[in-house]
Amino acid sequence: MDKIALIKLINENLAEEFEVDVDTITPEAHLMETLDLDSLDLVDMVVLIEQNFHFTPKAADFREIATFQDFYNFVESKMNEAQ
Amino acid sequence: MRHNNDKRWSGKTRGGSFGYRFFIFLIDRLGIRFAYVFLAFVVIYFIPFAPKATVASWWYARNILKKNRIGSSLFLFVNYYRFGQTLIDKVAVSAGKRERYQFVFDESYSRFLEILDQERGAIMVSAHVGNWEIGTPFFDKWGKKMHIVMLDAEYRKIKEMLEQHSERRNYNLLPLDETDGLSNIFRVKAILDRHEYICFQGDRFLENMQPAEVRFLGKTARFPIGPFLLASRLQVPMIFYFSMREPGMKYKFYFYIVQPLSKESGPKSEIQLLEQYVQALEGIIQQYPSQWFNYYRFWEER
Repeated sequence: MDKIALIKLINENLAEEFEVDVDTITPEAHLMETLDLDSLDLVDMVVLIEQNFHFTPKAADFREIATFQDFYNFVESKMNEAQ
Repeated sequence: MRHNNDKRWSGKTRGGSFGYRFFIFLIDRLGIRFAYVFLAFVVIYFIPFAPKATVASWWYARNILKKNRIGSSLFLFVNYYRFGQTLIDKVAVSAGKRERYQFVFDESYSRFLEILDQERGAIMVSAHVGNWEIGTPFFDKWGKKMHIVMLDAEYRKIKEMLEQHSERRNYNLLPLDETDGLSNIFRVKAILDRHEYICFQGDRFLENMQPAEVRFLGKTARFPIGPFLLASRLQVPMIFYFSMREPGMKYKFYFYIVQPLSKESGPKSEIQLLEQYVQALEGIIQQYPSQWFNYYRFWEER
């Protein structure tokens, strides 16, 4: 999967799971604020990642993620590691 | 919503180590019955000298149980006495005097053990009623896979002290860092992924934890939503567990087993789980009103 397709897939999944307009998701937007997430909501995020991208993130991973671009890079790197 | 931190649970549990050590000494040297007798005098001391707890207990008697002033005065004594009895019993059982007590299980006990026997995690939720800990020896081999969530540093200290006088502890403690919700989520999930069990006290939360407001015994109260959200999202069974003291040296264990609905079945499946928990807890409180041991203002004033 190329990066553009991956980003499209991530955005669609996030928009559906967290009930936000997909247009509000931009690379530079803040992930937690845009999706209106608190730490408990990250359970949903973890389940979404496990189900769609087939790896389990760690707490430390989320400390590194601020924007959607960070999130795209994180998912891409994890998927590359798995290949 | 108005938040008055003075009235909410502060994360500290009353009770000094000297008092606990003294009762351990009494039980060891003079027996459980003598400790009960001595407890009556301690209770009389506590009513005026633990004013915040006494005010909370009085409010509960007057506003929830709808007792008159005389009834509420008597209730203060009974409520503190029952609390003290559960502490004495806990120490006595953990010090090897289990045969002095009778333990009775409700009809869901075998179903509870079946749940534990499955190759999947589960979330247990209890409350500050009765004496949940006294039932832990009956969790048998599964106890080693149980992780009791602790939020209260002082309580942990007392636990450690009690354990010095115990034969063994057959469960694990999981102290949560109250300032790091992110790590807590991942620690809990990791335990469930290992097909082990997490045990919460469903009637406690701190100000930085996400609560939900529900009607509880006729008034609005706030409960933590986290345990129910975890069960809902991770699709693990929930067990509401209560261990209640009955007349005589007897405890009865209650198990309510619920399966979380899938998220697709409704947007607020965690709220449905919470409401089932609250309903179960209400039933227990109505049956054992003097075994409600939350000594702070639990309900909202409206």
